[in-house]
Amino acid sequence: MTRCAKCAALAREVEDFDARIHDAAMVPVPEALADRVLLRHKVREPARFGGFGFGVWALAASLIIALGAVIQLYRADIGDGERIATTAAVGEGHAAIAAISYVLDHEPQLLKDNVSGDPAVMKSALTRLGLNLPARGTTVRYLGKCPVPSGEGEHLVLQTPFGQVTLILVPEQSLGPRVVVAYRDQTAVVNPVRSGSYIVVTDSLKNVKQIEKMLM
Amino acid sequence: MLSNQKKPQFEALVRAYSAELYRYAYWLCRERFLAEDLVQETFTRAWQSWGGLRDDKAAKSWLYTILRNEHARLFERKRIEIDETQELDEVVDSGSVNAYESFEMREAIEALPKSYREPLLLQVLGGFSCSEIAGTMDISEGAVMTRLTRARLALRKLTGRAIERKEKVR
Repeated sequence: MTRCAKCAALAREVEDFDARIHDAAMVPVPEALADRVLLRHKVREPARFGGFGFGVWALAASLIIALGAVIQLYRADIGDGERIATTAAVGEGHAAIAAISYVLDHEPQLLKDNVSGDPAVMKSALTRLGLNLPARGTTVRYLGKCPVPSGEGEHLVLQTPFGQVTLILVPEQSLGPRVVVAYRDQTAVVNPVRSGSYIVVTDSLKNVKQIEKMLM
Repeated sequence: MLSNQKKPQFEALVRAYSAELYRYAYWLCRERFLAEDLVQETFTRAWQSWGGLRDDKAAKSWLYTILRNEHARLFERKRIEIDETQELDEVVDSGSVNAYESFEMREAIEALPKSYREPLLLQVLGGFSCSEIAGTMDISEGAVMTRLTRARLALRKLTGRAIERKEKVR
């Protein structure tokens, strides 16, 4: 192998390709996963003298307190300055409502048709809006165009660690101030950015916020 | 239940394998929270049947098998569409890969039919040999080798096509 340059090059190429497969397969692991698994088993462990021991009760109580704190933080997070508007409040012609309708009524067929748009156009739109798609953990399932009230947007369907998300990029056009709308079991945010706007549609406000964090 | 002597062993097992089991679970279901649930459930079952594990060296493949079974059970319950019958050629010919730089390999892996993707991930993530994969998947070693080769060839074609498209765009 070492004597033959072509064989060595081929071996290197095979190794490189396997390394690419390996890198792609190494999706990020949630923090403290092992600790959570172990905690769950500690809680389930039976006490030495028949019923639950004091330690287990103490742990359970701590967990309940911690859970309460998390719920409070979560509520504060979605409550502070982030009110969810209804259809009546924004009007049926609002970009967020139109986006949710488009996602529910047309997107399944678009995904089925499997026609892909132009990655370069999408990349350019992301750059103009100052957004980034994370390189790991997110897959672009669909690229295309979709109607928005002011014309046309770049329509992306992303498979993310928290489920399927629709991102509509609208460069150079204003869709008004930031608004979060819940409609037909979906949540959408319309947000102005440095030179245009974007719309995110997914199943919950929590996921909308997670996606926005990923994009910024 | 676990004896005091076995507890540290179980903890070591969780710390050693939870990350790679999560990745395997993620590729099986492609949903982050579901993948974590699968890992939790896998260790719960491992904990419950710890006594049945005779050889500690077999723990890793035992855990993968539990996870695989848990996933199959969940799929049955949730009626999620499984692409077991899909042919590899259909995937390669349909051009279902959307090219976008670093996404291309991940998308290509996702586009592989489950029967090809799974042995590949068991090898790449778990580092299992062909005979170990054959045992986990309950197929012959020859079938594993064939699927691994075909999976890699398909990935080459799929990622090659993505690169071609990217070049055309430029």
